[in-house]
Amino acid sequence: MRVLLVEDDHDIADTLRVSLEGDGHNVDMIDDGESAETMARNGAYDVIVLDRMLPRKNGVSIVRDLRREGVATPVLILSALHDEDQRIEGLDAGANDYLGKPFSTRELLARVKALWHGRDLAAMQTKLTVGDLDMDLLARTVHRDGKKIDLQPREFRLLEYLMRNAGETVTRKMLLENVWDYHFDPQTNVIDVHISRLRSKIDREFGVTMLHTVRGSGYRLEV
Amino acid sequence: MRQPGLDTLIRTTTFRLALRQAVVILGFVLVLLAYVYVATVWQLARDAEAAADQEFAQLERAYAEGGRVRLEQEVVERAARQGSLLYALAESDGTVVAGDLEALPQQPGDGVERVTFPVEQRQARGRMGRLLNGPILLVASDLGVAAQFSARITRVLWTVGVLGLLFSVIGGLLASRHAAQRVEDFSNTARDVMAGDLSRRAPDNGAGDEFDDLAREFNAMLTRLEALVRTTRTAGDAMAHDLRSPLTRLKQRLDHALEAAPEAERDREALRKASEECDRLLEMFQAVLRLARLESRESWTFAPTDVSQIMHDLVEFYEPAAEDAHLTLRAVVADGLTLNAEAGLIQQAVSNLIENALKYTPSGGRVEIRAGLRPDGRLELAVLDDGPGVPQGERDRVMERFVRLEQSRTSEGSGLGLSLVSAVARLHRGVLALGDGLGQAARPGLRAALVLPSA
Repeated sequence: MRVLLVEDDHDIADTLRVSLEGDGHNVDMIDDGESAETMARNGAYDVIVLDRMLPRKNGVSIVRDLRREGVATPVLILSALHDEDQRIEGLDAGANDYLGKPFSTRELLARVKALWHGRDLAAMQTKLTVGDLDMDLLARTVHRDGKKIDLQPREFRLLEYLMRNAGETVTRKMLLENVWDYHFDPQTNVIDVHISRLRSKIDREFGVTMLHTVRGSGYRLEV
Repeated sequence: MRQPGLDTLIRTTTFRLALRQAVVILGFVLVLLAYVYVATVWQLARDAEAAADQEFAQLERAYAEGGRVRLEQEVVERAARQGSLLYALAESDGTVVAGDLEALPQQPGDGVERVTFPVEQRQARGRMGRLLNGPILLVASDLGVAAQFSARITRVLWTVGVLGLLFSVIGGLLASRHAAQRVEDFSNTARDVMAGDLSRRAPDNGAGDEFDDLAREFNAMLTRLEALVRTTRTAGDAMAHDLRSPLTRLKQRLDHALEAAPEAERDREALRKASEECDRLLEMFQAVLRLARLESRESWTFAPTDVSQIMHDLVEFYEPAAEDAHLTLRAVVADGLTLNAEAGLIQQAVSNLIENALKYTPSGGRVEIRAGLRPDGRLELAVLDDGPGVPQGERDRVMERFVRLEQSRTSEGSGLGLSLVSAVARLHRGVLALGDGLGQAARPGLRAALVLPSA
């Protein structure tokens, strides 16, 4: 897919471009805010990765203006300022995700994919299906291979997020932010424990593992 | 703002000054009283005496010119006038024949003498003397009028004195209340500045008094201080920021090299380790920057926060991890705990405490989470365990930056955990208190509590 990368630190931008291209994306790069806005308005991009602090016009203002003009391209803001206030300001302006610097390349790649993926899915969907795993969002039930699986409310949300991003790697940080709405880094393996609980419920009896651990990155749900 | 109490007022310098002034006023009134006494009572008595002497001399002259008949006539005539002078004419044996008095106040001598005698509870003062050929003449002034006058003046003076005293005490109290209020303003400002709000200033009332002078100097000092702190903070932030960019690039390059999948497992492992070290360094920078930001209240938004909900969620979040570590996690969380707070920071602080407990409590141990109101109205969010605990003497030290106890040097972590929790507590005008946990005397465990004022 086509990615517009707006970053004024050329070193970071270059490595990001190499990584994004390595992941199969077409990348356009630009380093100042005003040109970035013009390009975002005119080019048909699938995802925009936007640094918050840019020369001429900052990332949050760009998103706000784009949304006002009806440009709906998913936007990921990168920022060294990633305390709650700034994050909320960015999301309020219309950004779809917010990633604090420093971040790992894998984290960024996972989020870019999730953004693109998320646009495909209608938010109003009532049923999610991945392989033989079915989730009914209204009845709050989960079946695999026709067999009902009992989940705690939080496990349900965890699985829902994984199913919405099926086939893609989701990082621990993404899970923490989207499932629990926590914005700190736990020093313990608490997320892994939650995943292994969920895995024991959806995978153990069925022989075929769907919930995979991606070493050094996170997890992936796939057939 | 707090109103200074009466006990505070009477301890102020201003009140003491006012009291001293009142004593001076009282002394002045006493001196004035003495003066008025001399000027009225004494002077009036002398005037009255002089008037009596003059009258006596006139009557003496009348006797010399007109004899006994003329004298008697004069005495009768003058006594009939309503005045302050008293007359008496007596035979040589002392029998009164004319005048105001029925009897002579004392046995007359041979010559002319001064007499002082009581008349109807008042004093009279005058001259009595034996005239040629025997008759005795007495002329005296009734001092009653003068005494009444001086008594009135004395009463007025006393009233003025007491009122003056009263007014100076009240005035003193008012003045010291004003002074105490101004001093209180300074204390409040100082307290807020200590709590990290460097933008606070003491109010300048524009009255141009010495407090305003002081406020201006005080505020100039704070402005200077704020500028210095900002310079330091900006320099620190800039440094951390500048170091973060190359570190981020370094990490990206390492990750990139790792993605290219080097042939040898040894190389992969080395790259992975290096990348992890980068993560750790970046995390530390992040924590240091965060800690710096926690020192200033202005960069955070406080909102009413459901603390009970936060605690329940965190317990739910950590329950599986505790179970995996074979720890018993128990939670006692009161309902309806609210606080004006930065929710994300409270979450992070409590989660740090829980993670510490999970990390340091050996398998089979207990961890307890308590949230409730203390008797003093403050909110307490505590995590207790029966792990190794922290020795009494080291409890203050572990809240400092980068400190980890010797025994835990080998485990993971930047050493910023408790200092961060402590900074979050300070930001909410509270404290982080460490104490004995759930263990026995020999191994008391640790109790780490955020104690936060709820108002």
